[in-house]
Amino acid sequence: MKFNDLFGGLVFLALSGLVATASWSLPNPSQQPLGPSAFPLILSGLLALCAAILAVTGARATEDGPLIGLADWARSGSALARLLLVPAAVIFYMLFAETFGFLICAPLILIVLFLAGGTRPLHAIGLSLAAALVIHSIFYLALGVQLPWGPLEPLRW
Amino acid sequence: MFDAYVTALGMVLDPYVLFVITASAIYGLVVGCIPGLSATMATALLVPLTFFMPPVPAIAAIVTTSTMAIFSGDIPGCLLRIPGTPASAAYVDDSYQMTLKGKPELALGIGLWFSVLGGLFGTAVMMVASPAIADFALGFGSVEFFWIVMLGLGGAVFIGSSTPLKACISLLIGLLIAMVGMNNPAGQPRFTMDSTEMLGGVSLIPMMVGMFACSEVMRHMVSDGSAPHAVVKKIGPIFASMWRLTKQYPWQLIRGSALGTVIGIQPGSGADMAAWMSYAMSKRFSKEPEKFGTGHPEGLIEAGASNNSSLAGAWIPALVFGIPGDSITAIAIGVLMMKNMAPGPTIFVNNPQNVYAVFLVFVIANLLMLPLGWAIIKVATRVLSVPRRVLMPIILLFAIVGSYAINNSLFDVGVMLAFGVLAFVLEENDFPVAPVILGVVLGPLLEEYFINSMIKSDGRLIGLVDRPIAAVLAAITIGIIGWTIIASLRSGKPSKQPAQG
Repeated sequence: MKFNDLFGGLVFLALSGLVATASWSLPNPSQQPLGPSAFPLILSGLLALCAAILAVTGARATEDGPLIGLADWARSGSALARLLLVPAAVIFYMLFAETFGFLICAPLILIVLFLAGGTRPLHAIGLSLAAALVIHSIFYLALGVQLPWGPLEPLRW
Repeated sequence: MFDAYVTALGMVLDPYVLFVITASAIYGLVVGCIPGLSATMATALLVPLTFFMPPVPAIAAIVTTSTMAIFSGDIPGCLLRIPGTPASAAYVDDSYQMTLKGKPELALGIGLWFSVLGGLFGTAVMMVASPAIADFALGFGSVEFFWIVMLGLGGAVFIGSSTPLKACISLLIGLLIAMVGMNNPAGQPRFTMDSTEMLGGVSLIPMMVGMFACSEVMRHMVSDGSAPHAVVKKIGPIFASMWRLTKQYPWQLIRGSALGTVIGIQPGSGADMAAWMSYAMSKRFSKEPEKFGTGHPEGLIEAGASNNSSLAGAWIPALVFGIPGDSITAIAIGVLMMKNMAPGPTIFVNNPQNVYAVFLVFVIANLLMLPLGWAIIKVATRVLSVPRRVLMPIILLFAIVGSYAINNSLFDVGVMLAFGVLAFVLEENDFPVAPVILGVVLGPLLEEYFINSMIKSDGRLIGLVDRPIAAVLAAITIGIIGWTIIASLRSGKPSKQPAQG
């Protein structure tokens, strides 16, 4: 998604406001002259200044254009769907890795992403299993990372 | 110093370290060779693995991977006219023209041979200059370091970027992210949203993996992803003409290496700027400037040497002051900090053997580039044909597991995703990503130096400039920032590439 500089400037202006508000309320237990709020306040001030310049230049350049534009790829439903598969795959892993284990979740994620990219189904299945086993070996066997096993726990090697 | 070098040599010649160097070299060469996979992404993906290594092999892996990837970015530039890394873009016309004339081995040979010579030149300068600068910097106090960090950040934003205003906003976002957690002079939880996971701040490794790998996968998903085909199938002898060219163009080699090293030392200007400036300089001083862009070796030699020498140059401020010159050295500083090798002048006093080991790794990596670079060139057409639609899902899985591996925490996987999305949105709108990383890495230091300086001067701002070196550094920093702002105002727009609506 592309937004123009006016919209971007307003978003960052709002962000600087949020940071400034959150910084004001920070306690200063040791009563130092510059407490934990000092530096974030300076940064939020600088961000507000930059955001305002961006918004002003964006407003001059935009005239009657839309605040939020779409990049060429965003007009294609399939490209948008492929893009959303990335966060969906990561969220799927976060939600189900503990329950189903790495060796079930990882190949599933890979198969879906391979198929979305146009890989043939048999290749996708073979590649997914091979890649998941190699990555599992690198992290579990070589580095000792405790990847979740899920229902495959009895098979743990 | 000699004893420390002997100790360092023993550390580097350890079979495990040599294995890590060789494996990272092959990895860096392969990843750098594939268009769309950058040297920075190669380095970021490696960081989770370095977490499990002792300090010397961990740093060796980073140094070797980045060195190899910068060279191997020349390969797709030469064979496909698609530079593998931005550092190869300056001379892609010349190298591709050589390929079209049926001489890909000449272009690739120049890329390999002069990268090695340039890299060794930069390493030699680093070995001589770093300890001397560190010795000088031992007298610095918090005020000088505050300005050194400011100079690094100012340089990164205002020299290295074509969109200074947007780079400045990126940097401020990075600095604000660095404020999260309890790592502040008061030890007070800040912006943690009552999450215990956030008390330690944003985890650097998942963040870097997300910004450089996850966002790259997302970008691939919205492209068509088809692999381009090379125009050549066979590559002849690579080193045949190299000695002749070295004797024919010695000044170009020396000038490119020297300029590359100097540009590398400057914060904010990395291998790509070194290559562009050296190519322009080569053309400016050439007796045959009309031949540039038509498959002429002169510019290739100068810029090829320059981009690799700048890598070593960028490590000088990184090691001496902890100031990263580019995103790769920012990642490297993150790894150094993780390994309790916080960079700064005292590292040359407390752990000289570790620093000298880094120097020796640079020498080994550059020498190893000759045989391994030859091998990757020989199989390049096959590597280039690996489809990205197969690689990208595997990279995403690697990014997920790599982020999880650091703390066995799914929260970190979420951090990786969040920063991947952030980097994707920022880059879609022409905001550079590297300043965010610089901000996160340097934010805590900047705050600490600023607060300490202010406490020493009883809160008076004059305390920031009342020491001679601090005043000079302040003048340089303000000069860089002021000059960029004036140049922007004169051109009538603060950012040269405004986002499209």
